[in-house]
Amino acid sequence: MEKYEKLEKVGEGTYGKVYKAKDKTTGQLVALKKTRLEMDEEGIPPTALREISLLQMLSKSIYVVRLLCVEHVDKNGKPMLYLVFEYLDTDLKKFIDSHRKGPNPGPLPTQVIQSFLYQLCKGVAHCHSHGVLHRDLKPQNLLVDKQKGILKIADLGLGRAFTIPLKSYTHEIVTLWYRAPEVLLGATHYSTGVDMWSVGCIFAEMVRRQALFPGDSELQQLLHIFRLLGTPTEEQWPGVSCLRDWHEFPQWKPQNMARAVPTLDPDGVDLLSKMLQYDPAGRISAKAAMDHPYFDSLDKSQF
Amino acid sequence: MEFDLEDPLTGVAAAAWEDEEEKGEVGLCPADSAAALFAAEPDHVCAAGKLGEDAALRRDAVAALLQAQVGCSVDPFVVYLATNYVDRFLSREAIPGDKPWIARLLAISCLSLACKMKKVDFSIADFQAEEGFIYDGQTIRRMELLVLRALNWRMRSITPFSFLRFFLALFRPADPPLLAALKSRASEIVFRSQNGETNQQNSSLFASVIETLSRSLIAEIKLLGCKPSAVAASALLTASHELFPVQFPTFRDAISLCSYLNKEELWECSVTMGELAAMDGCDGALAASSCCDTPVTVLRRYHHRNCSSSESESTAFAGGATAAADRDLKKRRIGGVTGEYCSVFLRPPADKI
Ligand SMILES: Nc1ncnc2c1ncn2[C@@H]1O[C@H](COP(=O)(O)OP(=O)(O)OP(=O)(O)O)[C@@H](O)[C@H]1O
Ligand SMILES: [Mg+2]
Repeated sequence: MEKYEKLEKVGEGTYGKVYKAKDKTTGQLVALKKTRLEMDEEGIPPTALREISLLQMLSKSIYVVRLLCVEHVDKNGKPMLYLVFEYLDTDLKKFIDSHRKGPNPGPLPTQVIQSFLYQLCKGVAHCHSHGVLHRDLKPQNLLVDKQKGILKIADLGLGRAFTIPLKSYTHEIVTLWYRAPEVLLGATHYSTGVDMWSVGCIFAEMVRRQALFPGDSELQQLLHIFRLLGTPTEEQWPGVSCLRDWHEFPQWKPQNMARAVPTLDPDGVDLLSKMLQYDPAGRISAKAAMDHPYFDSLDKSQF
Repeated sequence: MEFDLEDPLTGVAAAAWEDEEEKGEVGLCPADSAAALFAAEPDHVCAAGKLGEDAALRRDAVAALLQAQVGCSVDPFVVYLATNYVDRFLSREAIPGDKPWIARLLAISCLSLACKMKKVDFSIADFQAEEGFIYDGQTIRRMELLVLRALNWRMRSITPFSFLRFFLALFRPADPPLLAALKSRASEIVFRSQNGETNQQNSSLFASVIETLSRSLIAEIKLLGCKPSAVAASALLTASHELFPVQFPTFRDAISLCSYLNKEELWECSVTMGELAAMDGCDGALAASSCCDTPVTVLRRYHHRNCSSSESESTAFAGGATAAADRDLKKRRIGGVTGEYCSVFLRPPADKI
C-alpha cells in the first residue's frame, strides 16, 4: 500500500471508507476501497474470490468502474484486501445535488440526462448479459466523469462476498428508494427487472433533481409507489397477490406519469413508464431500452 | 455458482440469484458472447518463451496436479484450471532457480484456488498426505495471494474449453450425437495438449523416445503459447478429421469463415498439435496410432503410401516416424507438399511462412 498516497476521503460506503489516492509511481488517481474481508484458515474465502474475479471480468466494459488491482496488506498478521479502482471525480448523487443546491442551480441539460441514461442502460445490459444482477443501483453507486460526460456503474457484484447488511458502516439505513416492488413485497424469485426498476427511478430523479419514491420504511416505500402508479392489480401484475408480503393496501388510481416528470418529453415519459411496469416480466430490458425512440436524437456512435 | 470453464463469461447468474430457476432468463446472446470471449482472450494467453525457461518447474507442478487427479480423484476440469493458473503464473513471474520446492507449493495453491472457483471441496491435508509434503496454512495462503496478484485476479480463465461450444455451433448439419462426439474428442485433445508430456515422462528410457519427448515438450510449450481459441479450433478440426472425415471439409470451411480467427495462427497451432499427436502416436509403443489419427498421422500414412515406404506404419520405429513427420513438416514449411494435408488446414500464403 506504500505504492499509494492517500489524498482524501471521497465516500463512505457500507463497508468502510473510500479514499482518493495517488499511485506514487505513475501519478494515476485511484479510489481505494477497503474490504472487511476475513481471511481465515482456508485463505481467501471462496465467495470473495469468485466475486472479485467476476468484478474483474465485468470491469472490462467502460460503463463499469474499472478494478485496477487488488492489494493485500498484513495488518497485525491479518491480511486485509483493498480494491483499487480508477478514480472518477464525482458520483451521480453529488452531481444531481450540485444542480439542486450548487452556486448556480438549475435542471440537468436534457442531453446530459439522455446520455447518462443511455450509458447506464449500456452498463446494465453488459452486466445482465453476463448473468449478473447489480441489485443496488442508486445514484451514489453511479460514478461520473464531469469533463468527459461519462457515467459508470460502481459497487458491483460484491453482494454475496461481503453480505449486504441492513445498516451501513455509518449506521445509515440502506436506501429503499430504488427498490423494485417485487423485492419490497418479498418475492423470492427476481431477476433483471429489479435493476430496470432502479434505472427508472434514477431516470426520474435526474429529471426531477429529487427522488421519485423517497420512502423511509418498506411500507412507506410501497405506498409512495402505489400513490403514483396506482395500487397494483392481478390483471396488471399476475401473481402479485400471492407474494409473501402482499396484503390489502389502500386503493389508489394511477396518476398521470408526466405530472411527476413535467420537463420530460413524451418519448421519455413512455420509456420511464416501461421501466416502471409493475409486472417484472413486462418491464423493459436494458437492451430494449437502448433502442427506445427516446434515444433517437442521441448520437450513439460516441458510445 | 461455480465457475464453468466452458462458459467463463456467464453462468454466474446464480451468484446473484435468489432462485436457480430464474437463471434461464438472462445469459449472453451468442453473438455478444463470442465477441466478448475473443476480446478478453489476450489477457489469458501464456508466454511460451517464459514457460520454456521454467519447463522443469512446470513439469514438477503439473505432475503434482495430475497426482491429485489420480490420488485424490479431483475433477479433471479443476486440475486443468489449476494447471492453467500455474502456466499463467509462470508466464508472468520469475522464479529463482534455487527454489525447486516452489513447484509443489505453486501446484497446491493453484489447486486450492481452482477448487474455490469451481466450488469443489478439497482437503489440502489429504492432498499433502497423498503427495508426501507439508506446507503450513500460512505459507499456502501467502502463495495463493501471490498467484492472485500475478494473475491480477483474473481467475475466470478463458481456455480452449470456452470456445468449443462457439465453434461447434458453426458446424452444419447440427447433428447432436456427432457434435457430442466431436466435443468429447476435442476435449481429450485439449486436456492432452496441456499435460501430455508429463503423462509420459516415465514411459521409457530409450534414447529415441527421450528425443521424441523433448521435441514433444517443445511442441507442447509452443501449444501453450497459442491463443485458446486457436487451440480449440485446431482440436475440433483434428477431432473431426479423425472421427468424421467425410464431413471434415465442411467443418474446416465453417471454421475458416470465422472472422475472429487469425488463419495463420490457426495454421501454426494446428501444425503444432499435429506434431504433438504424431509424436504421441510413436511414443505409445506404436500400437495406438489409429486412435490418434490426426492430420499429421494421416499425412504420414499418406506419405508412406506414396513413397511406397517399406516401413509399415504399425511397426515404424519412433525415431523413424518422427523423422518422417519432421520431413513432412519441413516440406510443408517450404510449401511443397501436395495431397491431403494441404487441404486440411488453411495454409497462409507461402510468402508468409
Ligand atoms: N472509483 C471511485 N471514484 C471516485 N469516487 C468513488 C469511487 N468509488 C466510490 N467512490 C465514492 O465512494 C462512495 C461509496 O463507494 P461505494 O458505493 O463503492 O461503496 P460501498 O461501500 O459499496 O457503498 P454502498 O454499498 O453503500 O453503495 C461512492 O458513492 C462515491 O461517492
Ligand atoms: Mg455504494
